[in-house]
Amino acid sequence: MKIKLIGTLIVFVLVNFGYSGDVEGKITFDGKAPKMKPLRMDADPVCVANSDIKPRKEWLVLDENYGVKNVLVFIKESKSGSFADNYDSPKEVAILDQNGCVYVPHVLGVMVGQQLDILNSDGTLHNIHALPKVNKEFNKAMPRSKKQMSVTFDKVEAPFKVKCDVHPWMGAFVGVFEHPYFAVTDDSGSYTISGLAPGKYVVEAWHEKLGSKTADLTVDDSGATQNFTFTKPKKK
Amino acid sequence: MNAHSHREESFFRKYIWSTDHKIIGLQYGLTALLFLSVGFFLMMVMRWQLAYPETPIPFVGSFFGEDGILLPEIYNSLGAMHGTIMIFLGVVPLAVGAFGNYLVPLQIGAPDMAFPKLNAASYWSYFIGGVIMMGSFFSEEGAARSGWTSYPPLADIEVGQTIWLIGMVFLITSSLLGSMNIITTIVQLRAPGLTWRRLPFFVWTQLVTSFLLVLAFPPLEAAAVLQLMDRVAGTSFFLPSGLVISGEALAVSGGGSPLLWQHLFWFLAHPEVYVLILPAMGIVSEVIANNTRKPLWGYNSLVFSVIFLGFMSFVVWAHHMFLTGMGTAMSSFFQITTMIISIPSVIILSALFISLWGASIRFNTPMLFALAFLPMFGIGGLTGLPLGIAASDIYLHDTYYVIGHFHYVVAPGTIFALFAGIYYWYPKITGRRMNERLGQLHFWPSLLFMNGVFMPMFIQGLAGVSRRLWDGGLEYAHAAGVLQWNEFMSISAWLLGISQIPFIINIFFSLKRGEKVDRNPWEATTLEWVAPSPPLPHINFETLPEVHREAYEYSVPGRNRDFTPQTEPKKG
Repeated sequence: MKIKLIGTLIVFVLVNFGYSGDVEGKITFDGKAPKMKPLRMDADPVCVANSDIKPRKEWLVLDENYGVKNVLVFIKESKSGSFADNYDSPKEVAILDQNGCVYVPHVLGVMVGQQLDILNSDGTLHNIHALPKVNKEFNKAMPRSKKQMSVTFDKVEAPFKVKCDVHPWMGAFVGVFEHPYFAVTDDSGSYTISGLAPGKYVVEAWHEKLGSKTADLTVDDSGATQNFTFTKPKKK
Repeated sequence: MNAHSHREESFFRKYIWSTDHKIIGLQYGLTALLFLSVGFFLMMVMRWQLAYPETPIPFVGSFFGEDGILLPEIYNSLGAMHGTIMIFLGVVPLAVGAFGNYLVPLQIGAPDMAFPKLNAASYWSYFIGGVIMMGSFFSEEGAARSGWTSYPPLADIEVGQTIWLIGMVFLITSSLLGSMNIITTIVQLRAPGLTWRRLPFFVWTQLVTSFLLVLAFPPLEAAAVLQLMDRVAGTSFFLPSGLVISGEALAVSGGGSPLLWQHLFWFLAHPEVYVLILPAMGIVSEVIANNTRKPLWGYNSLVFSVIFLGFMSFVVWAHHMFLTGMGTAMSSFFQITTMIISIPSVIILSALFISLWGASIRFNTPMLFALAFLPMFGIGGLTGLPLGIAASDIYLHDTYYVIGHFHYVVAPGTIFALFAGIYYWYPKITGRRMNERLGQLHFWPSLLFMNGVFMPMFIQGLAGVSRRLWDGGLEYAHAAGVLQWNEFMSISAWLLGISQIPFIINIFFSLKRGEKVDRNPWEATTLEWVAPSPPLPHINFETLPEVHREAYEYSVPGRNRDFTPQTEPKKG
């Protein structure tokens, strides 16, 4: 029994400290910070009543240090072939809530086959309309009586929009991955991707307005750091 | 002919692959009644959601959504399919397929339709179309959700729409085969002496209706195929360039026009309104003439009006499209034609009203339904006038007012007339009369609750309540003052459903227990009453009748009876 326990501990240590590392970093914005205007929700009195604070548009959310929130950072490819062939879909359920007539979270990553629960915490009619290009589009109404629906995505897909046709200001983005190596930046623009085996990778940071940036990344036993800086895209 | 009639037929050949117009008429009738019940059931489910939004539907809720609550997308499906089923699978097949098939050859003294095999093909095409439509409920995303009008580009989104279009192709084909058959039969197979002016008014209405179907349906059939191609073959007949749906540019070649669909659709669908109403007028005329014991007032006016009505019905279609921005010149044209088409309608209704004047009316069940048809259709017709004028239509368009208007035309209008016809001709089909008490028990509650369902729609519509709201207007402040009518209308609808139970019982009860009657129980004049009840298989009459008189020689002064059959030779 003791031997088993020690063996398990050794494997755990090796996996977590010996053969995998965390990729960390921060996404910042270089430029004049645009002001996010308040959302005008007057069309639906329930939305106005449900929002404690007046929500603002979310297409570029910065902190005081210009850290960019809601950037989806993910491993795009492995150059050293250190990805496993396939990963089991996690049992952990991802959540996309319609709360105060905005989507929480605004950007979300899920794995292929992972259950995504879409909640309606508002006492009003929402319409969850996903617009994937690879996966199957769906367009389902969620009246106030329907508090939850569950979906899964079958195929890998770059972030696509999810919108509400009733409340046109509502929008969220979902990326679907075959592996668990993705993260969304927090309020300060920081992210952590855990459990990546040492090796060479390409990492991508995707933002709904600022576009995408990629970088080559070498992960060793101690992990790696990769920061990105976005600028305002030039008008075409 | 006799050798033909003596041939023994297997059950399958006699009742399933039959080429006898009477059996095909009954096939049409029973199938259409079944579909009408399905369409009615869908409406009753929708009315629950409108009366009690987001509460579980009792008994059948599990079929329609989780926790028994009707979800908006399913509500949309039910709405689209209610309209489709009621019009294309219910009322038209009953009015034209059943009544036309069964009665036209009999009323013109013909042994059968001109093309018996085509007739069978017509029914089976209809049947297949119906099965496809019903099957769409079980497709992955459910049945079509874009209304019975299927306007693109919205109609290009849902999968069920593809099945809807395939079903429509079969249904339209069925109507085309049937209507060509009726036209040929009336032109070619009239009994000796049955001149055009001696033709029963019902036959006239079937003739004009068939012309409407033959001329108006091909554009819709073409349009249905084109929309199908848009969905499955990547064409863009109805999809414009640069189309953005849900904020995303649609990957289509573009260059098409959604308005083209509307024009093609309404080019059929407005004449279709007259396809629904003309046979009803024909049935009511027969019943009124018989039960007033008087000739129809203004037979010639009726015939010319129905022909003119048929002609004009092809030049009013765009009054459904005043909101498309087609321009004031076009709007003016279609307003004028719409006002003109109301004239023959009013002539027909007036002639039928005047026919009642001074009559000693027999208030039996078919007559009650026929009498109720007159004011009900009157309400339906008159409330249509504000919709035919662009200025008022812009306000009323897509509100419950429109729903109230056309349901008054079709439900207490056409369907009441169809009930009148079923009660009136049941003795001819079965040799027995339907039970009169059950008939009255069917009629009076139906009249009451029919108005309970549709009259408040005018109130809600004038208040601006949109016709397509899943919650009946709950989320709209402007609807708040008239929402209380939702529950009233829904309870009326369910009671209307219960009121049909005596009718269903009556149909089956009277088959065995109904009063046995001779071949002419109503003492009528037209040719179908000369044939045995039921008429002989394939040949109808013992000997082909010869016509000597006009259709409605009732209460002619100096005669010893108050009716003179068309076959009775003139003296001297």
